[in-house]
Amino acid sequence: MGLLVEDRIIVPGPIVNLAAAGVANAVVVFTIPVGQLVGTKSVKIHRVNLYNNASGNTQVLIGTGVAGGFAALLAALDSMNGLNDSYGPETNLIQAEAFADITAYPVALITTIDIQLEVIICG
Amino acid sequence: MPDLYIFKAQVGMFDPVALQNQNVCIHYVQSIHYRKVDYLEAIPPFQCLDVGAVGAAAVSVRTLIPNLEMANNEFGLFRWYPIDDAQIRLFHPAGVAKWQLRWLQVPVDMNIVNRDPNLVSTEIAVWEDNRPSIEAVNGHAFALAAVRLVAIGYRFHTVNLEGDGPDANSNLVAQLKSGQQPCTHVWASGRAIGD
Repeated sequence: MGLLVEDRIIVPGPIVNLAAAGVANAVVVFTIPVGQLVGTKSVKIHRVNLYNNASGNTQVLIGTGVAGGFAALLAALDSMNGLNDSYGPETNLIQAEAFADITAYPVALITTIDIQLEVIICG
Repeated sequence: MPDLYIFKAQVGMFDPVALQNQNVCIHYVQSIHYRKVDYLEAIPPFQCLDVGAVGAAAVSVRTLIPNLEMANNEFGLFRWYPIDDAQIRLFHPAGVAKWQLRWLQVPVDMNIVNRDPNLVSTEIAVWEDNRPSIEAVNGHAFALAAVRLVAIGYRFHTVNLEGDGPDANSNLVAQLKSGQQPCTHVWASGRAIGD
C-alpha cells in the first residue's frame, strides 16, 4: 500500500519571446489548464529559463495579470546580457503557485528575452 | 483458498484474481460465464495505446484499445495509467461509461501514480474481444503530441463449466451459484446507470 507522496505533474511551457519592457507589456508565458473534464488546476513554478538576446543586464518579473493588475509571484530574476540564466530547485527558486495564467515582463530591453517555464500542475 | 480477490492492494503491484484450477464467474454487461482457470501468466507493463495528438482544450475521439483484447476463452486483468497529461475517460464496452457517478464520469490522469500507486482503482477486466475504449481530455492551452496509456496485468485462459463441452460440470456450477464452492467474480465491463 502506497503512502500519499508528492502529488504533481511537471509540464514544460512554451518558449515565449518578451519583446517589450514594462509591466504594461507583460505577456502570458504559461496558461492555466481549464479545459479538463473535472477539477480546478493550479500551477507551481518549477524552473525558469531566461535567454537574453543581447538585451543588456536587466531583470524579469513573473506574476499574474498585466499592467495595474499585475501581481508578482517571485522577486525579480536577473537576466544577464547575452547569457542563459536558469532558475530552479537547485537555486532555491520559490515554487510560487498561480491559479491564473502566468505572465512576465522585462524591466528594460535593448532587444528581446526568451523565457520558458517548467511548471508543476496541481489539482 | 488463497487470499485472492479483485481490487486487491498490498505491498507490490497486484495479484491475479485466480490461480490454476480455480473457478471464476465472468460478468460482461448482463451476461455471466462460469469458468475454470487452466492457465495464467503475468503481462509486464506495456504501452497499450497511443491516442495520438490532441489539440488544445480538446477531447479526442473515442478510441478503442484493441491491444487489450483477449483471445477466445481468455480474460485479461489490467491496471493502467496515462503517461501524458490528459484526463482519460474509460468506456467498457465502448457504449458504457466506466466509473460513472450520478453526475460525473470519473477520469484518470497522471496523478494516479501518486495518489493510487498500486493503481488499484484503475483495475479492469477484459473478456475475450470485448475491449474498452477511451477519450482523452486535454485541458492545456497547447496541443499534446501524444496521449499514451501503459497497462500491466494478467492473462487467464479458462475452460467452460457450463453447457455440454468436455469441461462442463453442472453440479459444480450449481454449487458456485449457491456459494457452496468458492468462486471469484470478475466484472469485465462497466454498467450503465439504471441497467
